[in-house]
Amino acid sequence: MPRLPSRLVAQASQRNPLLALVLRTCRDPTSAALELKWLRDYAVQHCVHTRGNWRPLLFRLCAARSRGYPLQYLLGSEFFGDLEIKCKPGVLIPRSETATAVTHFVNQFNPAAFNLPPRLRVLDLCTGTGCISLLFAHLFPKQRTPVKALQIVGVDIAPEAVQLAEENRRALLDQAAISSLQNLRYIQADLFPPEESQQTSVPSLIGRLEALGQLEWDVILSNPPYISPNGFNRDTSRSVRNFEPKLALVPMAANGLADADHGDVFYPRILEIADQVGGKVVLLEVADLDQAERVAAMALRYDWEGVEIWRDELFSHDDTKYIGRIRVLGTGHGRSVLCWRKAASSWLRRDGESNTTGVASG
Amino acid sequence: MFYTPWICTRCLVRTTRRLGGRQLRWHSSAAPTLASTSTSKPIYPALLERARAISKEHASLSQQLAENFDTKTAKKAGELATVVDALKQWEAANDAYTELSTLIHDSKTDPELLALASDDLPSTTTALESATATLTQTLVPKHPFASFPCLIEIRPGAGGGEASIFAADLLRMYTAYCAAHNLRAQLVKRETADGVEDMITEAILEVETPGAYAVLRGEAGVHRVQRVPATETKGRTHTSSAAVMVLPSFPANDEAGELGFEDPGSDYYIDPKEVRLDVMRASGAGGQHVNKTESAVRLVHLPTNTVVFIQESRSQLRNREQAWQLLRARIAAQRREAREEELLKMRRGVVGVARIGRGDKIRTYNWQQQRITDHRSGLTVHGIEGVMAGGPNLEKIMQSVRVWLAEREMEDLIATESGK
Repeated sequence: MPRLPSRLVAQASQRNPLLALVLRTCRDPTSAALELKWLRDYAVQHCVHTRGNWRPLLFRLCAARSRGYPLQYLLGSEFFGDLEIKCKPGVLIPRSETATAVTHFVNQFNPAAFNLPPRLRVLDLCTGTGCISLLFAHLFPKQRTPVKALQIVGVDIAPEAVQLAEENRRALLDQAAISSLQNLRYIQADLFPPEESQQTSVPSLIGRLEALGQLEWDVILSNPPYISPNGFNRDTSRSVRNFEPKLALVPMAANGLADADHGDVFYPRILEIADQVGGKVVLLEVADLDQAERVAAMALRYDWEGVEIWRDELFSHDDTKYIGRIRVLGTGHGRSVLCWRKAASSWLRRDGESNTTGVASG
Repeated sequence: MFYTPWICTRCLVRTTRRLGGRQLRWHSSAAPTLASTSTSKPIYPALLERARAISKEHASLSQQLAENFDTKTAKKAGELATVVDALKQWEAANDAYTELSTLIHDSKTDPELLALASDDLPSTTTALESATATLTQTLVPKHPFASFPCLIEIRPGAGGGEASIFAADLLRMYTAYCAAHNLRAQLVKRETADGVEDMITEAILEVETPGAYAVLRGEAGVHRVQRVPATETKGRTHTSSAAVMVLPSFPANDEAGELGFEDPGSDYYIDPKEVRLDVMRASGAGGQHVNKTESAVRLVHLPTNTVVFIQESRSQLRNREQAWQLLRARIAAQRREAREEELLKMRRGVVGVARIGRGDKIRTYNWQQQRITDHRSGLTVHGIEGVMAGGPNLEKIMQSVRVWLAEREMEDLIATESGK
């Protein structure tokens, strides 16, 4: 991290000593001023309820922020699409890129696809705050597809995540009265079977699904841990590295794996689960274009009908490229990999897909 | 009080002072005297002609209706009826006034009758004046944006820090005004200079109540302040200014299709392809690697190079919606202004219509003299504190501007009528 120019720090502390504190993490005066404003609003609001003095509270908040403590943990929430999701230490904070991808994914569904099942079953693996499943449940009914009901289950290995996701679901059900959230539940389970698992105390997913009596699922969404150990040490920001749960960022795996493979540990397992439960569409978040290509190659080995890579910004379709027979949409970092079975190609308006990819590869 | 055996001197002095007529005024601006009201404003002949033409049209329409009823004609006749009524009232008032004035000016009038006539004159004059005002009001077409909510943008102008402080004062003034007049107002954007709370570099206030644009559109322009700033050490009076823009605010989605957001011919239409959306992103890896807090959104309308930047909310989606709303408002206002400018050029050959655009100073707030003068209506009110707190005097001055605006629009109308 480059050193902040002392002139900048001096200017900031002259304006407001607290600004200089926040600047240590923000590195930029305008965003520091904004964060300070949000923190002050929060402190004032908080003290209206508790009848305390907001100034000491604001100082404590700014001091924590100066050490890199995530703003979202301090304020207790983050905006994800148009939902406000509660955040707590120990659970990964939702990222705006994920929201973009989920929104775009929902928009792909064809309202005129009459082979969509009347009851769409969705699995959200490694759910964390529950943000992906909550946003999906919120947006999907607006797409006006022939689907009558949604059944969604969010899965996480961490008990605090499952608890927080459930809390988020209740809060949104109370506030916004999103009726589709009623058929949404969260369970604690390990994606890996007991013999491969690092945490033997948590029951495995397939076992839990059997116990639920629901082994068939249509859509699998996931934002699994995908950072390799080297990436964690080198590329993550201080606030992420020091304060967010490593469990949600770096896959736990046996030693002796190559660095990139270590980051990819979850993807083959998720694709395998998708096979077992008869999944027809899979959306996976990835770190960058390299990982996206590796995951897409894996998916092709699992015989998926179509595979697509989405980048961060998906506003226009003008910048579509092909890598081999895989279509790459948007600009920015590679962010998600979409795979679908033949049965689902009309759901996502990708009927003519196999032909075009065939032409591109030829 | 006079039966009491003893009165304190101070009370005695105060009583005599109250009895002793008006206090002397030392200010340069003269208060309106009674004499100025006795000469009534004449009605413009072109306007009267138009009113008579409308009246004639109404008569023919009513005849048509008597023969065979048709809802469309009935509706049109109903719209014209207000003008006809106003014209009738005006004619009655005008007749009374002319009769009285001929009586007064006639040397052969009986002195007793003359006294009666001059007693009646003021009331007849006011009746004529109000009839004239109603008639002109009914003739002037309604502003196309009048029924919309509005956005008030405030930016400091010349004068450095003092201008920023004054801009913050204006923001407070409009917030208080909205609160006092039951207008729902919400702060969309407030950027402080150097993090000092009382100095703003830009503020946008959204007044959500429908019709707010009609109430507040007269506020657009440069507001000038003359006072000893808080930042001044030697006690000198400074003159600085702040610019206020009032834009109509359109609903986010046009459900009824009335505005034609989708219709390329409409003022409100913006081709999404012509707008570049910039979402501020941290450089380097995204996703799980960083947790950025930036939610700023910038929209650039490429053909006009209009830039809208919103970063107030933590929610990027909310910022984006706000930015679109603001962009739509600015573009629509620009288009309307351009059209008005064109019309104005056409009319300049007929009469020199003075229009105060947003670049001209419209109002002066003078702290030392405790006065606020509007340069368009020429009205001066006193009591800075009351006005800055959105008090009744502010409404008074705003009302005078509304009347002035209506008069200008009427002049435009006359210009177009006589230019035909």
